[in-house]
Amino acid sequence: MIRALTLSARLVLLAVALCACGDVDRDTVVLWHAYRGDEERAIQEVARAFERAHPGVRVELLGVPFEAYLAKLEAAAPHGHGPDVFIDAHTRIGAYVRAGVVVPMPWPIDASAYDGATLAAIDRWGAPLSTKCVALYTNVDLLPAPPVSFEELARTPFPKGVYPLAYEADVAYYHAAILSAFGGSILAGDGSYAFDSEAGALSLEFVQRMSREHVIPEEPNGSLVTQLFVSGKAAAVIGGPWMRADLGGAIRYRVTPLPTIGGAAARPLLTVETAMVTPRGAKSALARELALFLESREAAITLATVGHQVVARSDAWSDPAIANDATLAAFHEAVKTSIATPTSTRMQSAWVPTDEAIRKTLRGGAARPALAESHRRFDDAVKPPPPPASPAPALVILGAILLFVAWKITRAVRISEVRAALPAYRYVAHAAVVVLVLVVLPLVAGAATSLFAGTRDDPRYVGFANYAAILGARGGDLLGHGSFYVTLLVTILWTLLNVALHVTIGVALGVLLSRPLMRLRGVYRALLVLPWAVPSYVTALAWKGMFHRQFGAVNALLGLFGVDSIAWFSKFSTSLTANVTTNVWLGFPFMMVVTLGALTSISQDVLEAAEVDGATRWQRFVRVTLPLLRPALLPAVVLGAIWTFNMFNVVFLVSGGEPDGSTDILVSDAYRWAFTRDAQYGYAAAYAVLIFGLLWLMTRATRRMERA
Amino acid sequence: MKCEARGVHKSFGDTHVLRGVDLLVPEGSFAVLVGSSGCGKSTLLRSLAGLETIDKGTIRLAGRDVTKLPPRDRDVAMVFQSYALYPHLSVRKNLSFGLELRRTAKSEIDARVREVSEMLGLDALLDRLPKQLSGGQRQRVAMGRAIARRPTMFLFDEPLSNLDAALRAEVRVDIRRLHDRLGATTVYVTHDQVEAMTLADTLWVMNQGKVEQSGAPLEIYERPRTRFVATFLGSPAMNMIDATIDGRIARAPDIVIPIDARFGDLASGREVTAGMRPHDLTLFQEGMTKVCEIVVDVVEALGFETYVHGKVGALDVVVRIPGTAKTGDKIGLSIDPCKVHLFDREAGTSLA
Repeated sequence: MIRALTLSARLVLLAVALCACGDVDRDTVVLWHAYRGDEERAIQEVARAFERAHPGVRVELLGVPFEAYLAKLEAAAPHGHGPDVFIDAHTRIGAYVRAGVVVPMPWPIDASAYDGATLAAIDRWGAPLSTKCVALYTNVDLLPAPPVSFEELARTPFPKGVYPLAYEADVAYYHAAILSAFGGSILAGDGSYAFDSEAGALSLEFVQRMSREHVIPEEPNGSLVTQLFVSGKAAAVIGGPWMRADLGGAIRYRVTPLPTIGGAAARPLLTVETAMVTPRGAKSALARELALFLESREAAITLATVGHQVVARSDAWSDPAIANDATLAAFHEAVKTSIATPTSTRMQSAWVPTDEAIRKTLRGGAARPALAESHRRFDDAVKPPPPPASPAPALVILGAILLFVAWKITRAVRISEVRAALPAYRYVAHAAVVVLVLVVLPLVAGAATSLFAGTRDDPRYVGFANYAAILGARGGDLLGHGSFYVTLLVTILWTLLNVALHVTIGVALGVLLSRPLMRLRGVYRALLVLPWAVPSYVTALAWKGMFHRQFGAVNALLGLFGVDSIAWFSKFSTSLTANVTTNVWLGFPFMMVVTLGALTSISQDVLEAAEVDGATRWQRFVRVTLPLLRPALLPAVVLGAIWTFNMFNVVFLVSGGEPDGSTDILVSDAYRWAFTRDAQYGYAAAYAVLIFGLLWLMTRATRRMERA
Repeated sequence: MKCEARGVHKSFGDTHVLRGVDLLVPEGSFAVLVGSSGCGKSTLLRSLAGLETIDKGTIRLAGRDVTKLPPRDRDVAMVFQSYALYPHLSVRKNLSFGLELRRTAKSEIDARVREVSEMLGLDALLDRLPKQLSGGQRQRVAMGRAIARRPTMFLFDEPLSNLDAALRAEVRVDIRRLHDRLGATTVYVTHDQVEAMTLADTLWVMNQGKVEQSGAPLEIYERPRTRFVATFLGSPAMNMIDATIDGRIARAPDIVIPIDARFGDLASGREVTAGMRPHDLTLFQEGMTKVCEIVVDVVEALGFETYVHGKVGALDVVVRIPGTAKTGDKIGLSIDPCKVHLFDREAGTSLA
C-alpha cells in the first residue's frame, strides 16, 4: 500500500516536472513536414545536421499526412502544441493565413539566392525550400530524341498498343499547363474564374482531339499512367518529380520541360515547398535558427542529393552532385517556365468545377457549355454567405422545445419515483455521460453549425438561411443539377436498389448455405462473408479499377461475349450500376449472416408439417420460411437502409459522383460542400441535419411496420 | 385406405434404424407402433409420411406404390409431437393452410374450418396465434389441422407426450372417439403403453428396428411372444426369473415355479426364463404351491392397490397385494400355473 502511494506520488511529481519542461524548456524545436520516402530521409538528415551544429538542441520531427495538415495545425496551434516551423506547399498559404497558424517570415532570408518568381509565389510567408512542377518523362527506347511539340509527339509512329502520351488529362492541375499554351489560366489575377474563356475552350478541344485520336488513353489516373510508362505502353508521360520514385530502374527515361503547343510554351503550375513559422515559433530563437538553417545552401544540398528535390536556392545548383543529376536539372529547367499556383482560397473552389468541365469534354461533350457550367458552379461555390440574421426566431423555437420537453418530463415523472430509483440512475450515470459526450454533444454541435455560414474563421449566424438555400435549390431549378431534390431522389433510388438486392441475394445464399446436405458449407460461408471483412474502401477502389473502360476486368469479361467496352462512368445508368454492384458486393454478406442466424430459429418440424400439408419447396419458402425470417430481417433491413443511405465510401470512391455529380448521394454532396467548395461547413451541416431528419422519419415508419 | 410396408430398411450413416420392417394396417383400422426410444418407430412413421426416403423396401398406400413419392402426393396428415403449428398464422389459417395449398374453394374451406373447430371446440380460438394458446389447445389445433384436410390416413407422432397426465387421459379418449367417427386409417406412435393398449386395434411392438410382435393389444399382453414384449408391456414390468426345468416345475434358488400343461413336455435341466406379472402373484395360502417368500423392501401404496418390492436372496420381485405391508415383513407368494410365461433363456422366445 505504502509502496503504491510513493509510486503514485513519484508519478505525479514526474508529470508536474514534464509539464514544467514543456513551458520553459526551449532546447527542443518542433518541425512538421509531409514528406515520405527519400524526402523524409533528407529532412531527417537536415535535422541531424542542425542538431550537430547546435549541441544540446533537439529537433522534434513529425510527419503529418498531406491531407490532414490543415486540420492538425488548426487543432494544435491554439494550444501551443503545434510546430514551431512547418513545411508545406505554398498553395495552402491562403488557408493557413486565414486560420491564423502562420506569421509572415519574421527574419530576413537570403533573397538573392532565389529567383523572383519563386519568392513572389510565397509572398513573404516563409522560406522557399524546393519547387515542384510537372515535366515530360520520355522513354528513351521509344523516343530517342525528346519531342519539341505535342503535335510532333502525336505524329510519331509507335508500335501497336503504345500511346504517344499518357497523363492525368482530366485533372485541372495537369490541364493548366495545356491551358497556358493557349494563353489561359484557371483563375484570373483578381480571383475570378478565368477558365470559361476562348483559351479554355481551345485547350479543351485540343485535349478532346488527343483523346479521340488515341494519342492519350481514356480515363487515366496516376497509377495507370505510371503503369503504362513502366510497361513501355506509353512513350511519354507528364509527371512531377514525385513520379521518379515509382519508376525505379525499370525503364530508361529522360526528363525534359513540357513540349510546346502550336509553338507556345506549355507552362505547368508551380508549387513551392515552403518553410513557414507559426506564431509560437516566431517567439523562439531556436525556431529562427532552424528556419534559417533549412533555407541554407547546406540544407538545400542535402535535400537535393538525398531527397531528390528540386531545391529553390540557385547557389545550390553549383554543387556538382546536383548539377550532374540530369533529371533534377531538367525539373529545375521546367520550373523556369512554370506559373505559380495562386495561394487564394478561391483556388480550392476552382479545382472541382474545372475537373468536371475537362471530364465532360473528354467524354465527348462540347467544351463551351461545359465551361459555362463550371463557371456557374465556381461562382455558386464562392457565393458570399447570406447576410447575418437575428438569432431571435431560433432562440424562440429552442425555448419552446425546451419548455415542451420540461412539460413532458414533469408530467411523466413523480418525484417519489425518481427518489426511489436514484441508485439505478447512479449505475447508468457513467454510460449516460459517455453517450452525452460522444453522441449527443457532437450532434447538437453539428446541428448548431448548420445555423452558421461563411468559412471557419469567419462564421456568421444566418438562422435558417442554409436550409432555405438547400430546400430552394439555391435559387435554381428545383430539378436542376445539384438540386437537393434530385440528389434526394438519386439517394432513394440508390437505397432501394441496394437494399432489395442485398436482401434477395443474402436470403437466397443464406437459405442455400443452411441446407445440411451441402458439402464444404463452412468453406462457402467463410468465402461469402469475406467481402464484408475487407475494408470497404479497399473493395471500392478494386471495383473502381475493374470498371475502367480500357483496362478494367468488367469490360474485358464483357468483351469475351462480344459486348463493346462500356464507359461505365459516362452515363448515369451505368455509373449507378457500377456503384450498386460494388455496394451489393459489400452488403449482401450481412443479410446472409442475419438469414443464417434466423434460419436456425425456424423449427424443422414446422417445415415438415408444411411438407406433409402439401407445400412444394417454393411454397414452403414463401409461405413459411420467409414470414418466419421477417422479424429478424426487418431490423436488418432498416439498418442496411440507413447504412446504404449514408454509404459515402462507395459513391465517393467508385463513381465519385460521375458523370458530373449525377450519382452523388446526399452525404457525398454534403462532403463536397464542406471540403471542396471553400469549406462551407454550415451548409454541409444543414445537409447532415436534413439527412438525419429523413432517416429518423424512415425509422419511425418501419417501426410502425414492424408492429403491424 | 390400407397401409402396407414391406421389408423397409433405413440407415442414418452407420446407424441401421429400420432392419426390414413389415407393417400392414387394414383400412379404417387404428394401429399403434410402440417400443422403447430409438427402436425406429418414429422413423417408420416418417417414412410412411414421406419425410424420410427409405433405403430398401416398398410402401403402398391404398394399393398404390408411394415409396418414391413426396409427402404431398401421399394424401396423409400428420400430428407432430411438437405440434409444429405455423407460428405466424392464426388458428384459422393453420387449419386452412393445407386446403389453401390445394386451391380448395373458399366456401369449402370455411365450411371445413367451421366443422373442425366445432368438433374440437376451437371456435373461440380461431383468431389467436399459436403462442397465445395453452398446450392442450395447441394439441387440438394440430389435430384439427390434420382433420380439416380429410386425408385418407392419419399419422400421429407421440402427440400426447407434451401434455400433463390428466389432459393426456382426456385427449386419449377424444382421439379414439374421433377415429371411430372419421373412420380413417390411423398409425399412432407412442412409447406410453397405456395409450398403446387403450387406443390400438392392432398393436405393433417394435424393438431394435424390427417388429417384435403384432396383434390385438390384449392378446399380446396375455401371450407375449418374446421376453422383450413381455417386459415392455405391463406396469410394473413382469418379474423375470432365470430358472431350470425340473419335471413340472421350474427351479431357481429359493424359488419354485409351477408349469402349466400348455408348455407340453419340457426336458428337465433346460434353462428357461420364467415370467410372472406382479398382479398374477397371489398371497400364499395353505393348499397352494408356495413359489417363494419375499422380504419386503419398498412399499408403494396407491390407495386402490399396493405394490410391494421384495427380495428373494439377491433377486427383486414385485407383487401386487391387497391391503398393505411394511418393510421387513415376510410374505409368501403363490401363482396360478396358467399365468406363468416361459421363455427360452438364449433366444428369448416364448415356449408356449
